[in-house]
Amino acid sequence: MEGKVIVMTSGKGGVGKTTVTASVGAALALQGKRVAIVDMDIGLRNLDVVMGLENRIVFNVVDLIQGRCKLKQAAIKDRRIDNLFLIPASQSDDKDVIKPENMVWLTNKLRKEYDFTLLDCPAGIEHGFKNSIAAADEAIVICTPDVSAVRDADRVIGLLYARSITPKLVVNRISPKMVENGDMLSHDDIVDVLSIDLVGLVEMDDQVVVSSNTGVPLVTNRESKAGMAFQRIAMRLNGQPDLPIENPMVQRGFWRTIGKKLGRRNKDAK
Amino acid sequence: MRLNDLLKKLVNKQDSREVAKKRLKFALVYDKLEVSDTMLDNLQSELMEVISRYFEIDQNAMNLDIQRSDDYSALVLNTPILSARHQNHAQAAQGHAG
Ligand SMILES: Nc1ncnc2c1ncn2[C@@H]1O[C@H](COP(=O)(O)OP(=O)(O)OP(=O)(O)O)[C@@H](O)[C@H]1O
Ligand SMILES: [Mg+2]
Repeated sequence: MEGKVIVMTSGKGGVGKTTVTASVGAALALQGKRVAIVDMDIGLRNLDVVMGLENRIVFNVVDLIQGRCKLKQAAIKDRRIDNLFLIPASQSDDKDVIKPENMVWLTNKLRKEYDFTLLDCPAGIEHGFKNSIAAADEAIVICTPDVSAVRDADRVIGLLYARSITPKLVVNRISPKMVENGDMLSHDDIVDVLSIDLVGLVEMDDQVVVSSNTGVPLVTNRESKAGMAFQRIAMRLNGQPDLPIENPMVQRGFWRTIGKKLGRRNKDAK
Repeated sequence: MRLNDLLKKLVNKQDSREVAKKRLKFALVYDKLEVSDTMLDNLQSELMEVISRYFEIDQNAMNLDIQRSDDYSALVLNTPILSARHQNHAQAAQGHAG
């Protein structure tokens, strides 16, 4: 059976595409799947350091596409997790050396070797984005609870629909406390506005930064809420689509409960 | 902090979360209504072609525009008619059937 190619995209930069790609890829591999992660950010590679593989790069995705190496040479095996491979971006080439048809060729190769291929898309909706979606079977749109990130997500969702891909949503960097205080969009608000299915909800978590400092995969840290959320995203992609979304918990005190009740009554009265 | 929350709720001040959601919904609707000049130009020339099959019009006087108000957007076409093309219309219809 052929594998799946999933593009991770967002429109807006810095919302967590690379973090989600590395962590979900690691989680899928831990669940026994063969996984390739491709860094599509030509000229600005990042995934190698996030995964702690920066000093193992010999060939990159451009070398592979231009026939300077074989797939086996370009795919770097992870140090800690079996069945997890990274195909790094090139750091020196121009953004437009890769064309959509090259990606179609590459992903056809990857589908034969790997159960899951995850494409870490660069920010924006230009070259790297077009290349990545040209070859994808499915898409995950990542957004944070900001007005600008959600708006950009909507734009990207429109472009994916135009390619007949129905994307799924990951809401990243949610702070349950701020949502509770009425100072942050909730995942329900975002789902309501974007009207696509939610496949993951990831809290703001300091462990994400710690993991990217050390290059140690977040999903192996059982203490990390974000790490566990990434595990659940991987399970939903890997044959358990109905695994319920866990609602982030906030400690609820007496005053808060009263406040919420009063707030609700005020709204009903309007 | 907690007491502040309570006071905020009591005076019914709107949460920034609700403000964000309203602004978002508005922005998304607005984004989808944005039309480029080339798209309008193309639409105008195609409309002109269709209308000219039925009416003789002054092509330079034709005007196509999008008008926006708070709660709706409208495509407004304005063109003076010089005369109707009764015969040509019949021919055109025949031409299509044949
Ligand atoms: N859930 C989270 N909690 C805390 N920090 C996070 C979380 N997700 C991402 N970050 C941090 O946010 C920053 C941006 O994340 P990341 O590089 O994954 O975004 P990106 O979308 O890939 O960015 P770019 O558009 O530049 O490629 C990183 O420093 C990362 O550690
Ligand atoms: Mg990135």
